[in-house]
Amino acid sequence: MRYIEVKGLSKTFTVRKRKEKGQLFREKTKVRALDSVSFSVEQGELVGYIGPNGAGKSTTVKILSGILTPDSGEVFVGGRIPWKERREHAAHIGVVFGQRSQLWWDVPILDSYVLLRDIYCLREDAWKKRLDELTERLELGNLLRTPLRLLSLGQRMRAELCGSLLHCPELLFLDEPTIGLDAVSKLALRDFLHEENQKNRTTILLTTHDMEDVAALCSRVMVLGHGNLLYDGALPELLSKYDRVRMIRIRYEDHAELGGLPERCAVSREGQDYLIRYEPSKVPTAWLLSELQKAGSIRELTAQQQNIDHMIAAMYREMDL
Amino acid sequence: MKIKAYASVFRMRWKMEIQYRGAMIGGVICQVFFGLILVSLYHALYDGKPQSIPMESVSTYVWLQQAFFRMLLSSDSELAGKIRTGDIAYDLSRPLNLYGYYYVRILALKLMGSIMRAVPMLLFAACLPKGWGVMLPVSGGALCCAITALLVGLCCVCALENITMGITMRTLDPKGIQSILNLLMMTLSGNLLPLTLFPDSWQKVITMLPYAQLLDAPIRLYTGVYAITFAPRVLLVQVMWAFLLGGMGVLLWRRNQHRLIIQGG
Repeated sequence: MRYIEVKGLSKTFTVRKRKEKGQLFREKTKVRALDSVSFSVEQGELVGYIGPNGAGKSTTVKILSGILTPDSGEVFVGGRIPWKERREHAAHIGVVFGQRSQLWWDVPILDSYVLLRDIYCLREDAWKKRLDELTERLELGNLLRTPLRLLSLGQRMRAELCGSLLHCPELLFLDEPTIGLDAVSKLALRDFLHEENQKNRTTILLTTHDMEDVAALCSRVMVLGHGNLLYDGALPELLSKYDRVRMIRIRYEDHAELGGLPERCAVSREGQDYLIRYEPSKVPTAWLLSELQKAGSIRELTAQQQNIDHMIAAMYREMDL
Repeated sequence: MKIKAYASVFRMRWKMEIQYRGAMIGGVICQVFFGLILVSLYHALYDGKPQSIPMESVSTYVWLQQAFFRMLLSSDSELAGKIRTGDIAYDLSRPLNLYGYYYVRILALKLMGSIMRAVPMLLFAACLPKGWGVMLPVSGGALCCAITALLVGLCCVCALENITMGITMRTLDPKGIQSILNLLMMTLSGNLLPLTLFPDSWQKVITMLPYAQLLDAPIRLYTGVYAITFAPRVLLVQVMWAFLLGGMGVLLWRRNQHRLIIQGG
């Protein structure tokens, strides 16, 4: 069943700039945040939504959650037009904006959850059951009576997530949920999201710059740039196009004579190590290895795949973003 | 209508007030100080001179004004902050009428904040000698009318403040509009100088304005300046303002919602 259906979605913002000296009027420029974007998402899918800063990701999320009204285009989420039936729509979705807070700053987080219970008109027993489940899975048990302002960033993000899921939304928007989190919190959050998606069939749209998140969670990615949808499909296929470069880190016993190598691949030094980046399709690995061996006596050698961020950066460069 | 959700906002505000007891005690001390200064001022002013209004009525006016001072000023910087930073995005993703939600938040802040401050202050003022403290209401009926008028007046002020919020959504900075509102409020509500001391011809106009509805009208009912038979007229003016200002606010917010832009992130 199609849960989100977007056709020809466009949104333009007007950006005003301060006058320069001698200029009579403020300069106004139109920025096309979204330029006729179309896609659809099935119920229960976990989709990564990526793109450089200012690509229009958050704008899409805000339109889909009914906060913004688009200029043109058709949007149906669970059969509703979000900005026309905002209140009805809001009861069925959950939102986490990684850089904002929905819980009350001064009071224990439990109080905020009680308020949310009443706002979403949840039945006491259903709310209690869900809260118990979420506090256990998000390890919030002994934080419930602590005011939000005393929590660490990682704890706060878990608390925010709990707040967004109390009413068992059919659809969850996550806007950079792992921003600023340490490795342990990040991994725990990923596990939780995966479980939530599997267990409750919650459709999740994840907006992030953290490619590790996407790689770990999403079966499908959409790449947005300059307001256009540039790619929609599986992540490995997307990466295979840009996963051309391999890297060798090598350390010699003493002086090494690399000879003709720098002409055919990129060589740089990092302390005592040489870093050699090459494309196996252009430079045969066997040849490279024999050259490296000729250059001196090798103490250590490691071969690495390129980091996923480099691949994405290469992709953005190639797509001219 | 989601009465339960709105009631929950009140409870939340109550919890927040309790959270910051120090601020409350500080507020009470400050207001008591101002009350004493003002009452002394009127004593010095009227010393030995004939006066149109009895002294205990003036001091009662001053103390009631000070006790409910928190209802006057636009004080919820959190809501304006939400509009400035875009955190309002979260409130927009709730199944609630946004105008109603903000209205109730403002109402709860004013009501809960004032009750906690007014009770100790009025107890203190009641212990002061005649002409310095607060006197008892002229009758039980007058007290009931005054309380009703205070609540309806509060609705007027909340509606007024929600209009400020609506304007803030456009200007993104609440300071200008809030300082205008606060200036008008301080002067025309009788906080700076009891409205009963204004020239009679001025009073006719000022008492009809929304600013006079919050504290001036209820205090006049309390002290008996307005007879009980006059109460229906007072309430009518108040209800009219509450609906008029509320309607204007709802229209403004409705228009805002469709041109709203949440920037960044």
